[in-house]
Amino acid sequence: MSGENLTGPVILSLVIATVFQLIPASGVWLYWRPNFLLLVVIAWILFTPERFGIGFAGMVGLMADTLFHTTLGHYVLVFAVCGTIAYLLSRWLMYLSIFHRAFLIFVMIIGAESIQAMLFSVWGVPVNLRHIPIVAVFAALSWLVVDLLISRLKIRRL
Amino acid sequence: MAVDNYTTWLSSIYKVADNVVRPLYWLTNIPAGIQDWGKTITIPRGVLKQDNLRLQQESLIHHGQLQRMSELAAENVRLRQLLNATELLMDSVLVTEVIGVSPSPQRHTVTIDRGRDDGVYVGQPLLDAEGLMGQIVTVYNGHSIALLITDSTHALPVHVLRNGVRSIVEGVSDFNRMTLRFVSPTADIVSGDQLVSSGLGGRFPVGYPVGVVTSIKQKPGAIFVDAEVDPSAQLDRSRHLLLLFTSGDLDRGRSDR
Repeated sequence: MSGENLTGPVILSLVIATVFQLIPASGVWLYWRPNFLLLVVIAWILFTPERFGIGFAGMVGLMADTLFHTTLGHYVLVFAVCGTIAYLLSRWLMYLSIFHRAFLIFVMIIGAESIQAMLFSVWGVPVNLRHIPIVAVFAALSWLVVDLLISRLKIRRL
Repeated sequence: MAVDNYTTWLSSIYKVADNVVRPLYWLTNIPAGIQDWGKTITIPRGVLKQDNLRLQQESLIHHGQLQRMSELAAENVRLRQLLNATELLMDSVLVTEVIGVSPSPQRHTVTIDRGRDDGVYVGQPLLDAEGLMGQIVTVYNGHSIALLITDSTHALPVHVLRNGVRSIVEGVSDFNRMTLRFVSPTADIVSGDQLVSSGLGGRFPVGYPVGVVTSIKQKPGAIFVDAEVDPSAQLDRSRHLLLLFTSGDLDRGRSDR
């Protein structure tokens, strides 16, 4: 696979995920909206571990921190942890079905949201742990779309 | 993380990033634009006529009330002059629209489409049709970021409209709930009391609705009671907001440009 092949799709997918993340939401959707950027990062690492790894996750996390005005390092940590797990499990996960991967995303998002809750607690920001399982469910459902899109995109580019 | 959280050294990085992300706000508002457009083209003519009639009647009623208010305001100024008190400044407003909302539910900030070019300044109060929304914390040339009153880092001085008892309302990162701080068990505050900004601290002007006390609970042994407040403003729904200027602020906005 050539180096230039995936640059465009990766940037495009990150921009689309950022737009989805920034769409003004209200009510419970604000709490339940999955982190689309994180899902896209996990997808790229899972499907192309030879190209994208922990560094990529950290860089996107840094970008997320600056764009979303979170404490610098907040998303770097969350993205890097999830990126590491995705990278370590990538070979194994390729043999599993999309639903198994969605289940892994569910577990991973629970972990990521717990890290975020811990960080917010450290900074004295109140957190509501009730929303974590619901966010994970929505993330797993969104994963089905992200998985299909990025896996097909990757196959087409190969 | 500690450097970013406790200092402002990295603020220039955020400013650059915010200018980069500005075009994305246009994209993120497309669904809302389509929704508005869909509503506009599908609404029946009869409903539009009814709305128009209702709005005309409301406008007439408000004009009538405004005449009475002008008379009361003039009387208020005269009485204040008699008491040698400071004359209350008349506030003017600038309509603005929300173009972005913080994606993190723990951070209650909104991005609005007015900036330094429009005279917006840090600390400027922001309202919606129902009450106080928050204050401007960062200003760019064409847009600004406002911290909402429900953010956990925000607190504002208020008083009870019924009897003038003073307190401080603090956000808890929940759009439908705030808390009153340092309320003694003997304070005359009951459920249903309307809270308005007290003007203490000099950030928010006096008399704008902040919220309604919904519950008061006392834990055994606690020095203060737990009082919950329902915000008056539609913090997670309002799209069209008002930036508040007093006459002094207008001069400040011009000199800041």
